[in-house]
Amino acid sequence: MTIDHLFFPSDVIMAWIFTAVSIPVVTYLILKYRKMPLIWEYLTTTNHRKIGTLYLLFGFLYFLRAGLDALFMRIQLALPENNFWVFQSDKYNELFTTHGTIMIFFVAMPMLLGLMNVAVPLQIGARDMAFPFMNALGFWLFFSGAALFNMAFLLDDAPNAGWTAYTPLSTNTYTSGQGNDYYVFGLQVSGLGTTFTAINLLVTIIRHRAPGMKLKRMPLFPWATLVTGVLIIVAFPVLTVALYLLMFDRLFGTQFFSGPEGSPVFWQHLFWIFGHPEVYILALPAFGIFSDIISTFSRKKIFGYNSMVIALCLIGFLGFMVWAHHMFTVGLGPMANTFFAITTMMIAIPTGIKVFNWLFTMRNGVIRITIPMLFALGFIPTFVMGGVTGVMLSVAAADFQFHDTYFVVAHFHYVIIGSTVLGIFAGIYYWYPKITGKILDRTLGKWHFWLFLIGFHLTFFPMHLMGLNGMPRRVYTYNRGSDLFELNFISTIGAFLMGAGMLFFAWNLFKTHRSAQIVSNDPWGGRSLEWAVSSPSPEHPFEEKVPVVERRDSFWYSMQEQGKTEETEHRRPGPIAVKTIQPFIIAMLMMPLCIGLIYGWWWLAVMSGILLLGMFFVRMMTDERKQLYLSQGGG
Amino acid sequence: MQGAEALFEDKRLGFFLYLGVETVMFATLFATYLIYTPSSLGAHPSEVFTAWAVILASVFLLSSSGTLILAERGMEKKELKTVLAGIVFTLLLALLFMIIEIYEFYEYVHHGHGLTANNFLSSFYVLVGLHAAHVFFGILWMAALLFLYTTKPPHGYLQEKLKTFSYYWHFVDVVWIFIFLIVYAPYIF
Repeated sequence: MTIDHLFFPSDVIMAWIFTAVSIPVVTYLILKYRKMPLIWEYLTTTNHRKIGTLYLLFGFLYFLRAGLDALFMRIQLALPENNFWVFQSDKYNELFTTHGTIMIFFVAMPMLLGLMNVAVPLQIGARDMAFPFMNALGFWLFFSGAALFNMAFLLDDAPNAGWTAYTPLSTNTYTSGQGNDYYVFGLQVSGLGTTFTAINLLVTIIRHRAPGMKLKRMPLFPWATLVTGVLIIVAFPVLTVALYLLMFDRLFGTQFFSGPEGSPVFWQHLFWIFGHPEVYILALPAFGIFSDIISTFSRKKIFGYNSMVIALCLIGFLGFMVWAHHMFTVGLGPMANTFFAITTMMIAIPTGIKVFNWLFTMRNGVIRITIPMLFALGFIPTFVMGGVTGVMLSVAAADFQFHDTYFVVAHFHYVIIGSTVLGIFAGIYYWYPKITGKILDRTLGKWHFWLFLIGFHLTFFPMHLMGLNGMPRRVYTYNRGSDLFELNFISTIGAFLMGAGMLFFAWNLFKTHRSAQIVSNDPWGGRSLEWAVSSPSPEHPFEEKVPVVERRDSFWYSMQEQGKTEETEHRRPGPIAVKTIQPFIIAMLMMPLCIGLIYGWWWLAVMSGILLLGMFFVRMMTDERKQLYLSQGGG
Repeated sequence: MQGAEALFEDKRLGFFLYLGVETVMFATLFATYLIYTPSSLGAHPSEVFTAWAVILASVFLLSSSGTLILAERGMEKKELKTVLAGIVFTLLLALLFMIIEIYEFYEYVHHGHGLTANNFLSSFYVLVGLHAAHVFFGILWMAALLFLYTTKPPHGYLQEKLKTFSYYWHFVDVVWIFIFLIVYAPYIF
């Protein structure tokens, strides 16, 4: 321990001051407005809408946090040979690592899972998610993993090996602090939560659909969720094992990914066998959201429903056969590169089908330009541009030029922001009545949309050109006179426009919360069953009766023809609602367990492990199903 | 009975999906083992493995699936004595398996074949160790089931709990068969 270790850099001190100030302020506000019962309600809830709301809320907070990382990076890169604050060399490595990891795992994933939680059960006429207890557990595990990951920054030891944590850089030989251990355990814990939620969504969709809601009558968001769920349960365990092996390399001295026998390329294979399906795990739900929105606001059924479903399945299937296109420059040989180049190009076919189907859905439709529809209209050209650069990157020979340049950065921001982030915003504006009972303000929504979209293109379009000019990604500076200054400066301006757009969104949330009126069941003239229940959706939707489903978009047709829906009874029992703090406790116990492992405090790890097993036992003894059997006469 | 049965079907589907997740995890670890075995450095698997311990452990674990089936039969026929005997014997066999496995690991480490000796041994321990952790968890699960048994729960409820456990336990056994065939068999016969 030298004197250097006692001083934190000023950004970390700022974070500590911010934390130290905000904790008493928030506590004071909670006490002043008597919000303790509300917080307790959300800590113990197993209701799908409330858990979805929690996912969206914390996803949004992490969006702000990782967005701040992005702004710091853009300021550092605004001028050549710049020295902004502390963000050079290793600090810059921490910036892009936390930005990428948080945006993927703690923003995009939870916000999509949140929208699925809110909308999917209602869209298929289910009374809740199949396993309410596990639903809460899935959320709190995400919460716990994300908190763990972010703790590292406060200890001035943020992960710094990139969101892909390539070995051997991420082994303890080259990154010897604890930062990347936090990466390993944070992702492991939140990944467990994601897996649980995926299983939950799959069982809900397969077994809890309303009478008559055949798979071929489901709206496309539940369809996208179904395919995404399958991708999650196949892809995430591979990440689990990759992290498990990396944990052994970092903590217990094995050499899977480095050393005389270990293979750094093996990590890349494992990571991308997970990582590429992950891209579709992020994109497919957005496709589903846009399909529903475009259909609703064109007053037309979706064009080519069958081909939409087949395209979703094909994209999901092909998603597992393209991982090595991230590794063209590793030297896997011409055969492997050719194979993965072709499969990658093939994905453009089902994706193209979807794009044309969206366009044909709008053709001759009665289009209403609402805020969700605006985002959908912004999505199509943006995403197509990302798709086109994707096909350019899939040409293995050309990729040797593009690889690890800003061209790649431009490409994946066009696809991920273009589909996932715009999709999340569209979904929030669209389903906000089901979440809170209110509609977000239209004028502020327009400001949000236009600032964000223009800012986005201003930020990321120049990156294509920077990349072609040879600017490498993940480097904190560039030389004067390298023809990169103007492009970078424009890009930084764009980033601040996106930030301004987000301020309008935050203001919109606040303003709507303060003023707007509760709306009717169906404020948009929707086509699927979520619009049959009140806004916000009730604690126990469809408990007595559920609308009859006789065809696709049945709700819309019966509203058009009769102004109301015929109702029928469920043919099976619904999930049992419970209020319990157990999921929260189980997830929180993961934190001391992981910290014990990270620092080698074995007593802490063992104690938390025992408590965790004890909680499983408590869960077994307090299972709500026991009451069900008792009420059925002990059978 | 209708209500509880439908909900149990949900649970069964969810649990099978979860076992699918486990399958992918173990498959990835088997791939890791195959990639790094035999190692170019240090001990060769045929110098490390103790055939009799592996075979004995296999006999104990595989027969524990049989005793568990006995318990399930008892559950269907509502013969609670058979259920109790089935779970207790399964638990004992699992404990015997664990003892042999701990002995086996201890012997290997004692002869310098530890976790970090070479990549064959590293991938051996992370795979077989994870399986052993599953057996250990299964033992605790059975102990909890025995406790539940003593509280005289509704029959259907106990049956549901036993069924869920049996899916897990048979799955752990199947993984062991693959461990036997892929990890041990090529080097001990």
